[in-house]
Amino acid sequence: MSFFVKGILLEQKKEPMLTRSTLVMRQEFEYFDCDFPDTPVEELSAQQIIEIARLAEIVDESDGKMLWEKLEKASLGEGGRLIVDAIDDEPYISSQMSVAVHQPEKLALGIELCEKVLNPAKTYIAMYKHIFDMNFSLPSKVGRYKVEKIGGRYPAESRAYRHLPKGKNSVIVGCCAMLHLARAAEESRKMTSCFITVAGDAVKNPRNVEVPIGTSVERILELCGLTEEPEVIVAGGSMTGRAVFEPENELVAPTTRGVIALCKSYSSGTYSCIGCGRCDHACPKALSVSQMRKLAEFEKFDELRRYDAALCIGCGACSYVCPARIDVAATIIKAKKQMELAKKEGTL
Amino acid sequence: MKEKLMFQNAPHVRQSESVVTMMTDVVIALIPIYLMSFFYYGARSLVLGFMGAFFCAAFSAVGKIILREKPGRDLTPVITGLILPLLLPADVPYYVLITACSVAVLVVKLPFGGTGNNIFNPAAVGFASVALCWPNMVFSYPAPMQSIEIFGESTAKIAQSPAYSLALGAVPDYEVLDMILGSVPGPMGATNIFVVAACGIFLMVRKTVNWMTPVSFLVPYAVLSALFPRIGGSPFDALCYELFSGTIVFGAFFMLTEPVTSPKRDFGKIMAGISSAVVVFLFRYFGGLEMGFANALILMNVFSPVFDEICESVLHLYRHKEAIRFTAADLLPKKKTETKPLVQILKKKEKAQPAKDENNAEEPVPEKTEVLAEGKAAASVSLINTPGEELVCKTEEEEVKTEEELSASEEAEEIDLLPEEEKTEEEAVK
Repeated sequence: MSFFVKGILLEQKKEPMLTRSTLVMRQEFEYFDCDFPDTPVEELSAQQIIEIARLAEIVDESDGKMLWEKLEKASLGEGGRLIVDAIDDEPYISSQMSVAVHQPEKLALGIELCEKVLNPAKTYIAMYKHIFDMNFSLPSKVGRYKVEKIGGRYPAESRAYRHLPKGKNSVIVGCCAMLHLARAAEESRKMTSCFITVAGDAVKNPRNVEVPIGTSVERILELCGLTEEPEVIVAGGSMTGRAVFEPENELVAPTTRGVIALCKSYSSGTYSCIGCGRCDHACPKALSVSQMRKLAEFEKFDELRRYDAALCIGCGACSYVCPARIDVAATIIKAKKQMELAKKEGTL
Repeated sequence: MKEKLMFQNAPHVRQSESVVTMMTDVVIALIPIYLMSFFYYGARSLVLGFMGAFFCAAFSAVGKIILREKPGRDLTPVITGLILPLLLPADVPYYVLITACSVAVLVVKLPFGGTGNNIFNPAAVGFASVALCWPNMVFSYPAPMQSIEIFGESTAKIAQSPAYSLALGAVPDYEVLDMILGSVPGPMGATNIFVVAACGIFLMVRKTVNWMTPVSFLVPYAVLSALFPRIGGSPFDALCYELFSGTIVFGAFFMLTEPVTSPKRDFGKIMAGISSAVVVFLFRYFGGLEMGFANALILMNVFSPVFDEICESVLHLYRHKEAIRFTAADLLPKKKTETKPLVQILKKKEKAQPAKDENNAEEPVPEKTEVLAEGKAAASVSLINTPGEELVCKTEEEEVKTEEELSASEEAEEIDLLPEEEKTEEEAVK
C-alpha cells in the first residue's frame, strides 16, 4: 500500500554521537546487591534469570515496563521470535545503537540470558539502516546474533513490527535492558543508570552519555557543554519529545532517550494551510490528516471519529512535512485526548 | 539558561521547505516564460506581468485591510497575477488585465477566506470572466516577432490562432515545430511549449508540483485527441495540433496543479486529471468558445472534494480490513447449536467455580451480583448457590433467566479479555 502511505525520509544527523564512545557520568555509589544468586553466569536457570532481573529492577527502555514481568508473562510458541530493539529512527537519537556498536560483548551476553528464558526459534537485533551521514558501516553481527537492518521511512519502528504475527509469537525487548541484564548477572549491579543522547546545535560536545537515573537535564547539559544559550531544550526524541522549561527540575527517567538543545525555535502559525496534501501522504496510518486537522480545530468530534482519529500514533510526520509550519500533530493529538475525555464522561 | 527558553510542539525538527519556498519555485519557473514572451512581443509583455503581480498583491492587501486581518506573507496573489497575463494576448488593454485581477482576488479568493480556502482556481475564473466580457479582445492574437507599443492603441497585425482554426474544423497553417517553439499567434505565455514544459519539469523535480497531476491530464488528453480527431490527416498530426494549441500544456503545469483546489491524495489527483482531460476535450469539441480549458477547470474544481471523499472511503476500508474480514465470516450461515438442558449447564458452572476459587479465593464472583440488582432476585440466587439436585423443581421463567445470565457472563468474560489483546497489539506496534 505504498501508493497511499509514503512516510518521510529524515536527515538522521547521528554523527558524531554514534562514532564517539559512550561517556559515563560518575556515580557516588554503585549499588551492588548481595541477594543475587551466586551461580556462575553459564549455569543460571531461567527462574534465576527472572529473579535477577527482578532484583536488579531493570526497566525496558523501549516501552517502560519491568523486564522481569515481560519475561515471566511471555510464552513463545513454535517459531517464536526474540527481537532486540535498537531501532533509532528519530534524528539525533542513537542511544540504543551506540550500545550495540560499542559494547557488543555485554549485549550478546544479555541476549543469551534472555534466550535461556524464552527459548525463541529466532533471535535478531533490529537496527535502522537508512543513515547516510555515518562514518562507518553498521555491524552485521553482535556476538553470534544477526543484525536485521530495517529500511523504510520514518516511523520505522511501527513499520518494522507490522509484518509480525500479532502479540503472541514475538517478544520485543530493549537493547539497553539487555545490557543491564548482563551487568546484573555478571557483576551483581542494579540498574541505576540509563543511556541517553545529548545533541543539538547548541551542544558543544555532543555524544552518548550514561547517566544515573534522576540526573537533571541541566547537569547533563553542563557535562557536555553549551556553545550558546539554547532557545529550546527537549527531553526525549526529536520527533516526539517535549520542550522543557525548568531544566534543573527535569529528571531523566529510564525511558528518556535523549536531551536535545536547539539554538532556534521554529515559528509556527505564520502561514495558512494551502492544502498541498503532503501530510496525508506522510501519515504512516493512512489517515486523512488535512481533513482531520480542520475538524480538530473546530472540535467536531463526531466527524473526527468517522475519520479514525483513534488510530493516530502521534509520530509527528505530518507536522514535519507541513510547508505552512502548522502544528498538525499537536492539534490532532489534543483533539484525540479531548475525545477520550468526552467518551469517559459520556457526552460523546 | 532559563530566560530564553521557549515552548514548541513536537516534532522539534522540521522540513526546510515552506510555503514561501514553494511559491518562489513557481515564480522562478514563470520567469523563463516571460523572457520568451519578451522575445516574441517586446517589452509590453513584461509590463503586463508587473502590472498583474502588482494589482493582485494590492487588491489582496486592500481586501485584508477591509476584513481587518493580518496581511498574508505568502506569494499566492503574486503568482495569480503572474499567471493571468500569460493566458491573455500580448496586446490586451490594461483595463482588461486589471479587471481579471480584481475578479480573481476580490471575488474568488477573499470572500471565501483567503489563501487556502478558495473553491475555484482564481486565475481560471479571472480569465473566464474577461473572456465573457471582452471576447473580441481576449481571443484576437497579434502575430509573433513584432514589438507592441507599451502605451497607446495597439497597431500590431492580428493573426488567426491555431486553436481558432481547429474550432472551425480547419487544419492550422503552421508547422508542428513552429507550434512547439511558440512562433504562432496565441496567448502570451502558452505558445512556447518547449519552455513551458521545461519549467513544468523543473517544478516536478523540485516536488513543488506532484508529477501525477500533469501526466494524468496530458496523457489521456493526447489519447482522446488522437482517437477522435477534429481535422483530417494522420492521428499524430491531430494529437500535436490539439495538444500544442491553446493553453493545454501551460494549464496542465501551472493551473491544474494549484494545491488549494485540487484533490489531496495521489489517487484523487489521478482521477481528477483523467476526468478533467475528458471534460476539457468535450468543451473544446462541442463548446462555443475556442478556449475550453479555464471553463473546464472551474467545473472540475467543484468535484475535487468528491474525489477526496472517494479516497477516504477506500482508505477507510484499508484501515479496517481485519474488521471487514471478521464481519464477512459472521455473515456465513452458522450451525445451530443444540440447546443443552439447564441442569448440565449449571453442573458445568459448578465444576468451573471451585477451580476459580482456588486461584483467587478472596474475589467474589462479579457477574451474578449485577444481575441480582435487576429484580426477581431470589430465584436466581438460589440457582447459583444451591447444588444441582434442587434445581429440578424450578419454573420455566427462571430457566430463561439463567440462560440470559450465562450469556451475559460469557460476554463479560469476552470483554475482560479484550484489553489484553490490545496491549499485545501495542507491544507489537512498539
